[in-house]
Amino acid sequence: MFEDIIFIATIAIKSSIAVLFAAVGEVFAERSGVLNLGVEGMMLTGAMVGAAAGIAWGDPWLAAGCGMLAGAALAAVHAFFAINLKADQTLSGLAIAIFGAGLAGFLGRAIIGERGVRFGLEALPVLSDIPVLGGIFFKQNALAYVAYILVPLTAWVLFRTRLGLKIRAVGEDAPAADAMGVNVTLVRWGCVLFGGLLAGLGGCYLSLAYTPGWKDGMTMGQGWIAIAMVIFSGWRPGRAALGALLFGALAALQWNFEANGSELIPAWILKMLPYVLTIVVLVLVKRFGTSGRGNAPSALGIPFHRM
Amino acid sequence: MSENAPLLSCRGVTKRFGEVVANRDITFEVRSGQVQALLGENGAGKSTLMSVIAGRFRPDAGEIHVRGELVQFSRPADAMRMGIGMVYQRFMLVERLTVAENIRLSAHSCGIGSREADRRMAELSERYGLGVDPSRTVGSLSMGERQRAEILKLLVQNANILIFDEPTAVLSQPEAEGLFKIFDRLRQNGCGVVFITHKLEEVMAAADHISILRRGRIIASVAPGEIESKRELARLMVGREFVLAVDKPELNPGETVLELKHFAGSGASGRTGFEGVNLSVRRGEILAVIGVAGNGQSALAAAVTGNTDAGLAESGSVTFGDETVSAPDWKGHHGIAHVPEDRHNTGSVHDMTLAENYALTRLDAAGDGPWFDLSRIAKKTQKAIENYSIRATGAEDMAGSLSGGNLQKLILARELARKPELFVAEQPTQGLDIASTEEIWAALIRQRKHSGILLFSGDLKEVLTLADRIAVMFRGRILEVLDALDADAVARIGLLMAGGETAEGDSQCA
Amino acid sequence: MRIVRRTRPIRYKALVTALLAVGFALAAGALVFAGQGVNPLEAYAVMVSGALGSLNGLAEVAVKAVPLTLTGLSVAVAATMLLWNIGAEGQFVWGAIGAGWAALYLSPFLPTALVIPACLLCGALAGALWAMIPAALRVRYGVSEILTTLLLNYVAIIFMEHLYFGPWRDPMAFGFPGTPTFPEASWLPRLGKTRLHLGALVAVLAAAGLHLLLARTKWGYRIRVTGRSAQAARYAGMNTSRQTYAVMATAGALAGLAGMGEVCGIHYLIREGINPGYGYDGIIVACLAGLRPALVPVYGVVLGTFLIGADRLQSAMQLPSSIGLVLEGALLLGLLAAEAVTRFRIASGKGDDNV
Repeated sequence: MFEDIIFIATIAIKSSIAVLFAAVGEVFAERSGVLNLGVEGMMLTGAMVGAAAGIAWGDPWLAAGCGMLAGAALAAVHAFFAINLKADQTLSGLAIAIFGAGLAGFLGRAIIGERGVRFGLEALPVLSDIPVLGGIFFKQNALAYVAYILVPLTAWVLFRTRLGLKIRAVGEDAPAADAMGVNVTLVRWGCVLFGGLLAGLGGCYLSLAYTPGWKDGMTMGQGWIAIAMVIFSGWRPGRAALGALLFGALAALQWNFEANGSELIPAWILKMLPYVLTIVVLVLVKRFGTSGRGNAPSALGIPFHRM
Repeated sequence: MSENAPLLSCRGVTKRFGEVVANRDITFEVRSGQVQALLGENGAGKSTLMSVIAGRFRPDAGEIHVRGELVQFSRPADAMRMGIGMVYQRFMLVERLTVAENIRLSAHSCGIGSREADRRMAELSERYGLGVDPSRTVGSLSMGERQRAEILKLLVQNANILIFDEPTAVLSQPEAEGLFKIFDRLRQNGCGVVFITHKLEEVMAAADHISILRRGRIIASVAPGEIESKRELARLMVGREFVLAVDKPELNPGETVLELKHFAGSGASGRTGFEGVNLSVRRGEILAVIGVAGNGQSALAAAVTGNTDAGLAESGSVTFGDETVSAPDWKGHHGIAHVPEDRHNTGSVHDMTLAENYALTRLDAAGDGPWFDLSRIAKKTQKAIENYSIRATGAEDMAGSLSGGNLQKLILARELARKPELFVAEQPTQGLDIASTEEIWAALIRQRKHSGILLFSGDLKEVLTLADRIAVMFRGRILEVLDALDADAVARIGLLMAGGETAEGDSQCA
Repeated sequence: MRIVRRTRPIRYKALVTALLAVGFALAAGALVFAGQGVNPLEAYAVMVSGALGSLNGLAEVAVKAVPLTLTGLSVAVAATMLLWNIGAEGQFVWGAIGAGWAALYLSPFLPTALVIPACLLCGALAGALWAMIPAALRVRYGVSEILTTLLLNYVAIIFMEHLYFGPWRDPMAFGFPGTPTFPEASWLPRLGKTRLHLGALVAVLAAAGLHLLLARTKWGYRIRVTGRSAQAARYAGMNTSRQTYAVMATAGALAGLAGMGEVCGIHYLIREGINPGYGYDGIIVACLAGLRPALVPVYGVVLGTFLIGADRLQSAMQLPSSIGLVLEGALLLGLLAAEAVTRFRIASGKGDDNV
């Protein structure tokens, strides 16, 4: 019984990493004031490119890198539309989501079902021997460890460095930041691209570590859940990771029930839960969040013009 | 770089926006230790000139020299590097960050590290008497404090030419005096100060030199000693006697249309609320509520009109006509017409036509029943355009293409046509040129015949011209209601707007 | 040379925008084709001849245009009030479920003539109710409808799958799971030997009706004002909460009708694949039409041509039909690019503003 719980916890961590990467990336994009709804498309394209690169060259890290670049490429399109052309950010993001999904499906048909490389389980020395926690956290694949480092690192950058100060200023009041000499366009581009890199990495995680392999639509809405988690997190990387964990826990429970053939909760309700719960989370954030407007960066979604 | 060169010098600067020439052949200079005032009415081109100097706009012609050196700015950072600091009406500070974070951020782009920036903050704050606590978030500061934080920020960046755009617009009298004291310190330390204003008294009090801008040109450049009277200044500013005389015939007020008893409520989005308000407005009279911006006027106006965006009525009672309603149940009334403060985003929809805008609060004029008859409204709009001399091609024009004055006239026309019992006007002539201001004042005075008028304004001149009775608002309370004909009114109002009994040393001079 | 904002909009802006968007999409598609070693001109030729070259092709385009028009109207009416109805897909699914319930379980109790009206009603109602959930969350809690409508799509699809895998499954069918075939009384009549069904009439009427509603009624006027400036709407005393409910219900009903049309007009049952993403397509149709109901059917036909063409590609050249999705995404991006292009112009000479 106890072992079961540890096992489920391990799977929870494992299932949360993709959303975690995407959410942390989106935190940066939104902190700089740009709403990026294209995460789902970026994840899918990243997943597909990662899988394909893995099949082609056999190196998981190289494959992950390629997937990240694919995500960043799509992000660049969104950045161009949203920042330079000052187009409606919601529409631009949606367009990328649709386009990315279609592109991944279209180009990925050649590799459906192929087993490429994967990031195998690597138990970390020493750390994995810690009772209870060691088994849960430190018997994961390499990308999970990357995630562990990424979260505190990004939090530190955002709240304790000059760069983070610039990002936050740009997201709160772009004209003021501009008047203070910050290059708003550059900062926003950087953050959106970073978001794309991480979304691509999240997708790669699914096709190179989790599933692995490529399947059309394999993210199943995790990109959207990541965006919701950003709201839940109050635009803080640490809390975004927590939100991702919440999703992972649900996925693990779902898996557990299915594996045991338990009829306690019907399968279809279990499938719905992640989405329903995300909606509930969004409502709770609004209901019990700190201030009326929430902690959203004040300039989120508003293009910057210097007149 | 000559030694005696002025800190800043503009020669022949011209700036166009499409067809409009905002600045024409401007020649203008500021010397070290000098306070230069740029005087002009709204729309004269002052802000444009300042934006050119600050590097936000590139001039179409002319040259700018800083300390004798020819410069060309392609972005504000360039001007900043040359020591030009601009204090806009809307402060360039990020509200959610602390003063220190804001200053450090802007210092970074000048190559000044955080520790050095902190050191300078402390030293300069002392030297210029700025007294701002760097650990507080900008959002928690008063307007005067924010302005001082803004000044400190610029000084940390080695600005020695400081430009202020209408700096006293958001300040109370004591705060304004405090600002002029800071000007003195700046002068003493060899900085050059330029301040833009349309207020004649300030110019006479604080400036060493006055340049007068009219319709994009500098038409006069004088020292205060050379001016005989404010009247002469005004004449120079506007080109004619700036008496703003409006005919205000005697009228006997009729029945009470609005009565507020112990009216209290809160302001939305951090605005000041109001409490203990007892006011009444009668048909045939204009009751003005005057106060410095931010003392609860928006919340009060919103509570009376029922528009919850700016404020909410919470306790007390409202009597409109024959009905008395308790405050929480009061949601406005269709017999109340409202000209809001924000004419562009609230009072009108800028990407709809004038006809569609006319229908905004006059849907009844668009036909009976559920149908919307655009042609009927268009006809009424066309009539309004003619009656109020609104400069527009026709009812098909987009509201966004109208100038401030013309847009306001349309809104006024629309609201007056509702034949309201109570007419509420918030800052109706703010930012408008003289001609439009006069027309609107005349319209309001005419309207007294049909309605009671509740006027919210921060402009003493406007209030003295229009009102029969004047209520002074400070920190959410009505301190006193004066009769406009009272000889002591002017002095008393100025005192009350700043908080009351004592002339200075009051606690709000933070 | 610099890029400067236009002060006056271009003439025929909507048309120019749409043309540019289509052009961009075709160019993007050509790139993808070329990248796959396929001659783009050949591919496009197959698409065009397949879609428009025969009577059958034209009828199929019209068949596709029906749900595209209805979901397009759904998204358009919501967007007129600045509400993003990304949930048209879920509302479509619920429309199918509602119509399916009426066809399978209600029809035995109804006279034949009332079965189709019952399906129409149930389909529209189901879609409307599903759309009211995000509306309520938005009005009561201020939760953005973008995410809620989208997440609910997944919920709707999962529920529909549960229905035709489980309680509604046809015990007699072997092979792919689905509901039993609907009774003939619920089948929408078709035009001749084509698959074009009564839903086309519904779509056209809906477009006309929505146009009148928005342009000629006070209710429509209020919706339009709220969409342009919620602040001004509140100032004018408009009840934006009630409007939100009404608009989302309308949007949901329209998408629901699309779903009803597909199951009662084409498939005659519910199974996997009855929702090939028309809800998302509707976003593109609505944007291309500039949110104008009168133009939505036109762009429904345009997109229908794209999609049928893509289908033909699949059979003729073994290319996956997800090329259709690629083209759609490119269309939307092209639209945004076109929007931007028409907002700016190139000004010559120096001394213009910084942008």
